[in-house]
Amino acid sequence: MKKLKKLLTSKFFITIVWVVMLIAVWELFAFHVENIKRTPENVQPHLSGIVDSLTSDRKINGSQTALQMVIENAKATLTRAGIGYIIGIASGFLLALFMSLSKIVEKTSFPYLMLIQLIPILGMAPIINAITGDIAKSRIIIAAILTFYPVATNTLAGFKSVQREKHELMYSYAANKFQIYTKTMIPACIPYFFTGLKISAPMAITASILVDTLQGGIGLGCLLSQSLKGAMTRYVFWDIVFFSAVIGILSFYIMGIIEIMMCPYRRTGKR
Amino acid sequence: MKNLRKTMAFIAAMTMLTGAFASCGSSENSSEAGKSTVSESSSSSGQTAEMSDSDRIVAAAQAGKVGNWGLGNEYEILALLTKYGQKTEYLSQAFDMDGFDDDSITLASAMTYNELGLVKNDYEGGYGYGDTVGIIDMNNEGVAMLEDNLFCTKEFAEKNPNTVKAFISASMKGWEYACENPEEAAQIVFEAGSSVSSDHQAYMASEVKKLVETDTKGNTVNEYGKMDEEAMQQTLDLAKEYISLDDSTAASKLQTLTLDDIRDTSYWEDASADDFGDPEKTSVSVQLKWLPQCQFMGYYVAKAKGYYDEVGLDVDIVSGGGDIGETTAVNNSTVDFGVTWVSNLISADAGGMDLLEIAQVYQRSGLVLVYKK
Amino acid sequence: MLHSKKVRSGVTNIGCPLLFGAALVASWQTGLLHKILKTDEYILPYPMRIIDIMKENSDKIMLNVNASVKVALIGLLLGSVLGYLIAIIATVFPKYGSGGLTIVSAFNAIPIVALAPVFINWTKDVSDIAEERSMAAKILVVTVTSMAAMSVNAYRGLTELPPFSEDLMKTYAAGRLTEFFKLRFPNSVPYIFTALRVSVPGSVIGALVSEYFAEYIIGVGRQIRENILIAQYATAWAYIVTACIIGIVMYAILMLAESIILKACLHRT
Repeated sequence: MKKLKKLLTSKFFITIVWVVMLIAVWELFAFHVENIKRTPENVQPHLSGIVDSLTSDRKINGSQTALQMVIENAKATLTRAGIGYIIGIASGFLLALFMSLSKIVEKTSFPYLMLIQLIPILGMAPIINAITGDIAKSRIIIAAILTFYPVATNTLAGFKSVQREKHELMYSYAANKFQIYTKTMIPACIPYFFTGLKISAPMAITASILVDTLQGGIGLGCLLSQSLKGAMTRYVFWDIVFFSAVIGILSFYIMGIIEIMMCPYRRTGKR
Repeated sequence: MKNLRKTMAFIAAMTMLTGAFASCGSSENSSEAGKSTVSESSSSSGQTAEMSDSDRIVAAAQAGKVGNWGLGNEYEILALLTKYGQKTEYLSQAFDMDGFDDDSITLASAMTYNELGLVKNDYEGGYGYGDTVGIIDMNNEGVAMLEDNLFCTKEFAEKNPNTVKAFISASMKGWEYACENPEEAAQIVFEAGSSVSSDHQAYMASEVKKLVETDTKGNTVNEYGKMDEEAMQQTLDLAKEYISLDDSTAASKLQTLTLDDIRDTSYWEDASADDFGDPEKTSVSVQLKWLPQCQFMGYYVAKAKGYYDEVGLDVDIVSGGGDIGETTAVNNSTVDFGVTWVSNLISADAGGMDLLEIAQVYQRSGLVLVYKK
Repeated sequence: MLHSKKVRSGVTNIGCPLLFGAALVASWQTGLLHKILKTDEYILPYPMRIIDIMKENSDKIMLNVNASVKVALIGLLLGSVLGYLIAIIATVFPKYGSGGLTIVSAFNAIPIVALAPVFINWTKDVSDIAEERSMAAKILVVTVTSMAAMSVNAYRGLTELPPFSEDLMKTYAAGRLTEFFKLRFPNSVPYIFTALRVSVPGSVIGALVSEYFAEYIIGVGRQIRENILIAQYATAWAYIVTACIIGIVMYAILMLAESIILKACLHRT
């Protein structure tokens, strides 16, 4: 009895159950679609079809199979997303720091911070493209812009979360601003900071793929829109959807692992 | 023990949920079956009556089932709808032909060299309708607007006249070769990295050849890239009527545009007479209007056959298909040359760009409306 | 004293952003911004021109705004409610729930550009009227995108309780429901707003992007795309500004709601 209970609640088993359930739901729909549509791969293909498309050695374009194409384009996109992400994190954290240091900076920049987030990328892209003169650079910059908002707002919320008593305590110790920040503010904001990181890691990837679609060239988004526009088998589209989902989840997990490594004190919390 | 009970309850709940999904799926299925029989009966009644093209257009327009991709590709359709006294409304068509396949669009836009091939043929990605579909040709309806051309900015043309002429000369040589050897051209494009299947690529090459070598009236054209005065004027006139711009400054500028504002034949004339010197700029790029495919085979052939090298040019072919259009890319000098539709060039110039057509590759409209017979 | 302090903070609250905005617009209108950004008045038209276009086309713009706002609001509401429910389920069944939570947040990792065309295909059979089925697809996109932010944040709010509060509840012999309404729910309210701060702008973007692919041609996002593709940047900017205004208004309403509700919550405790 106890063994069964342990098995049923083990993390591994839970994950399996979730995955099996998702596959079941997906396949149910896929069978349904197969019955009513003439081109089921355009609506919802069977998972086996997607796996087949990845493992087949048929050349999609002159020289590459589907898998090779996805991997080559993914490298370009993920590199851009990664660089953009790091720039976004650094600028987001710095901005949050400035905002917490100065009320005026906070009040002035916060509405505009949000505003940047609201300008549709499509409008932003030609302008950034004109500034950098290079589509690859603009892709990185846009990924950075989209990731820095969650990091900045969450970190700011972290700074604000420091209880007044802690402030007063530090004040009574005659701690200076630098000490206050390094001893209380920054440690306190780290969980929030990581929330921002966790939200924005998939966002950086999403943004990078989205911006890829704006102009041709190499990148997952380019490939995705080409497949969607009928330039190649639709399975490439599905390959990318799944690939980006997996990468997105992984990025979220990796951030979670880094969070645990960096602030082990959170591990003791009830979970 | 408590934990176990919780787990069991959870699993039970999820099973129920999955069951609900399944039953919802099956109920949808039955309603779908009902719908398809209805559409079958309606299409069979249509067959006996043998509708005329004008009846078809009116019927589809009134049912709101005329499709087009929009985004600057819709003007010929608007002109056609107006011709038959219909409201100028259309459905946004996806880039596959599923909407046509499942009858949510009964009169669907198709390019002769691309979507029409997918509808008719049964190779990969095709729907295999064969001859059970009919088409309404924009050229026959008198609403044809010219499509793929070659353009650059006025400033670039003035600064680098020899580059422009050399580029036209080599490109047209490429087009000539491609039209003479469509199968080889298809292979060249495929090897250049196009991901369109080679069957479809071959079909596309043979259809594009027709557009390049036949004018709107059906006469043969043997001067590649010629700018036919009458067809250009018709395109501009239709553009003035059907391109609607919200920006009043641009809208009034559109009405004042003349052919001389949007094209210059002198570069093409010099290029065909081989009357040009060494290019001023030797490394140039050309942005296509769409993804790499035989629609643009002339440029790929010119590159592969070394025609560009012969005139001293190093050409980079940039694929299109993104949201930053080729007009914008040329205008902000990301690329030097571009391939676009004449109507897109007209609206860009009306909006304040300074673009100039330097050659007209397609001599007739490749847009058709496809219907199930 | 208190009064003057309030006034002063009000001045910095509104004055600073306004001043910054005014400086920005001034440099834009005078062409200074174009020099800094190395762009021309074609890609980035002058503000007055944009305003003129907005005035001329106010009816058409309002029509598109209506469509976009409807999608954003309905999707946001559905997504937030669903997200919160998922968070509750995850709290009740912590072991399975957190796994599910990861799955939900994974949806957020799929790019909207990939989701939108898929959802449009999935909703093909919802209605015979193109306008309705496009609406359904767009709402679905916004729902999915705003669901993830809410579920992750709400889960934190429901589980990261003040120290010993849970034990306190136990000593009161409080039931699960009481514990939820007295402890977990109030604790999660600030987190709900954290989620909304992300998902409100997200819902606007989601609505705009899903319009790009929709069958029925309407919406602010769709107009931006159509105009950029036919190289009408001035008109596109009119719609971009409109999109920003939608976002600002929705965000302002959120902030107002947040300050009122959080104040009410503070008073209660």
